[in-house]
Amino acid sequence: MQISFLIHNAYGIGGTIRTTYNLANTLAEQHDVEIVSVFRHREEPVFACDPRVGLRHLVDLRKDGPGYEGDRPEYREPARTFPKEEIRYGQYSALTDRRIARHLSTVDADVVVGTRPGLNVLLARQTRRGPVRVGQEHLTLDSHSAGLRAELRAAYPRLDAVTTTTEADARAYRAKMRLPGVRVEAVPNSVPVPAVAPADGSAKWVVAAGRLAPVKRYGLLIRAFDQVRAQRPDWRLRIYGSGKQKDKLRRLIDDLGLYNHVLLMGPAHPIEPEWVKGSVAAVTSSMESFGMTIVEAMRCGLPVVSTDCPHGPGEIIDNGVDGRLVPVGDVGAIAGGLLELINDDALRRQMADAALKASERFDPARIAERYESLFSGLVTRNRGSVTGRMRGPLHRTRGALLGGAYAVRGAGLSALGKERSA
Amino acid sequence: MMAVTSQAVTSRTADRTAGEGAVVPPRADCVADPAGGLVLDLTGFGDADGAHLVLRHRDGGQEVRLPLAPAADGRPRAVLPGGAELPEGCWDAFAQSAGGTAERLVSGLNDLRSLVDRVPDGADDRIGVRIPYATKHGNLSVRSWLRAPHAEAGELHPGQEALEVRGRVYGAALTPDAYAELAGRAGEEPRRAGVHRDGAEFRFTVVWAGLPQGDRDLWLRPAGEDGPRVRIARLLDDIVDKQSVLVYPKVTLETERGAVTAGPYYTTDNDLAVTVTAADS
Repeated sequence: MQISFLIHNAYGIGGTIRTTYNLANTLAEQHDVEIVSVFRHREEPVFACDPRVGLRHLVDLRKDGPGYEGDRPEYREPARTFPKEEIRYGQYSALTDRRIARHLSTVDADVVVGTRPGLNVLLARQTRRGPVRVGQEHLTLDSHSAGLRAELRAAYPRLDAVTTTTEADARAYRAKMRLPGVRVEAVPNSVPVPAVAPADGSAKWVVAAGRLAPVKRYGLLIRAFDQVRAQRPDWRLRIYGSGKQKDKLRRLIDDLGLYNHVLLMGPAHPIEPEWVKGSVAAVTSSMESFGMTIVEAMRCGLPVVSTDCPHGPGEIIDNGVDGRLVPVGDVGAIAGGLLELINDDALRRQMADAALKASERFDPARIAERYESLFSGLVTRNRGSVTGRMRGPLHRTRGALLGGAYAVRGAGLSALGKERSA
Repeated sequence: MMAVTSQAVTSRTADRTAGEGAVVPPRADCVADPAGGLVLDLTGFGDADGAHLVLRHRDGGQEVRLPLAPAADGRPRAVLPGGAELPEGCWDAFAQSAGGTAERLVSGLNDLRSLVDRVPDGADDRIGVRIPYATKHGNLSVRSWLRAPHAEAGELHPGQEALEVRGRVYGAALTPDAYAELAGRAGEEPRRAGVHRDGAEFRFTVVWAGLPQGDRDLWLRPAGEDGPRVRIARLLDDIVDKQSVLVYPKVTLETERGAVTAGPYYTTDNDLAVTVTAADS
């Protein structure tokens, strides 16, 4: 198959970008894959791109480059076709409208995949007849404004499929949107096998990682750790990440006298070598649209104590088997979950082993297989459809339409090209 | 179908000006061992034969050359043994092929788990610490400390009246004459604080009252006036820059000359100091 991804900015840093490269790089073992980036603001992408994946941009924003387009009048005119209710609306323009429309009306692919709501709307409306149209939801339906949901409701019936990262969000799409004939399927994000050996469970550190944002509720974690310290002063907590909450969290640490026990580490890239310095991971969020850090920690051999918040954690963690789910917002329960694993070495190691095994289902090879079977099913359905979207024979290149298994990728590519260090 | 315009390996360096087809700089992955040794594996570098990994001291021409040899996976590997002499300071890492010029190494994966909560062999008189890290441009450098004896700072307990410092000494015995010294940086007469000892572990308190404004470095005199003067520092972990991570609250005190704030901090060399400054009005 020819698969073409459309993404906001393939040269940036972020969960959607990382997960798109993971998927594209793996699919490229069997298929022709390209990533089309609406914007390009730097020379090289931050994440590693497999040489078999075609990467191109629609609008050049490299400031000192010869092709810089940010000073064109068309770039300053507001967008008309890109949905106004999208968070990124301000970055789109008459120029992006025109380039995206031209791209979608001429795209040479069997499957076109959008990676954010605004692009999915354009993809639904403007893709030429023929290719299968897939819209990925990397956040959740509930996180969008009412206005954006209305725009999605109008456009998404023209998609062939909507993918969400959780079953919970797929249920929300099925219940709240009228999408006749549109496949709604949950496909989790993928996380490659880490390039470092898993943790051995001996380090007396709890590790958390994520933006220091209110939704992560790190204040709860710090308060919970105050209870942990009372019982186990030999254990300590590292929180990796940066964000606006930093000063507030610092004050809380000072107020509780936890400066010898709780460290705000700042951002770390790559994060895998930091996970393996701990033996237990903690997530205290009030909302996780997926829960990428939970999977990352499990792939590094850490059992995760996580709040059972919407939407992802409960679909990733098998409570009591490979981690522990605790109620949202409950300091005592978070402390209890941590202490359960801190105080029982055998249980901790047993859950760590289970976490390593269970998290293999998020390997890019396994996730790519799920996408491949979704895509090829839709391509077959479209070809058999009498009402339209007929097109010529499928392009076949590497491998047959239903290719064999994907290689479970080792350290190599996944370890490269991670974000710059701060 | 589409032109391949991307590269297999992406540099971590920001905004390189080279375009497509640019030569990607070699990258080093480091694994630290508990004895202070480093194993460095290179990717994107040619033949290991006759090649070296070169560490250059940032403050001068000093250079350490480590031979590269293929590891089991074929990648060129250099080893800096824990026992090797690497004078204190900041060392930039380069790779140099036989007869070639030295290329700056990009920092890859640094597996430093064995440095976390490191407890050196008590028999070692000399404490060697090397922490590899990525510079702000993403290049690999190694921060090195070499101390004999060494006084490792542990928990700090800053309070309204005083700061309690706990630590452990390596390479020297604590005698009944032991004391701690607060040394100003302008040649003032150092102040003393009595030391409680428990084997190699020590603790003492720095009383804020009467401490003039300014910075003071903390030293341990494990055998009193006649013995060595040992800088108190925090070195035995994986954190290259303590002052941004090991942060302690400051207290505000009323003095005859107005309000001051007082508290401990780690210097850019990870040595322990205290500061007393006029409070912002």
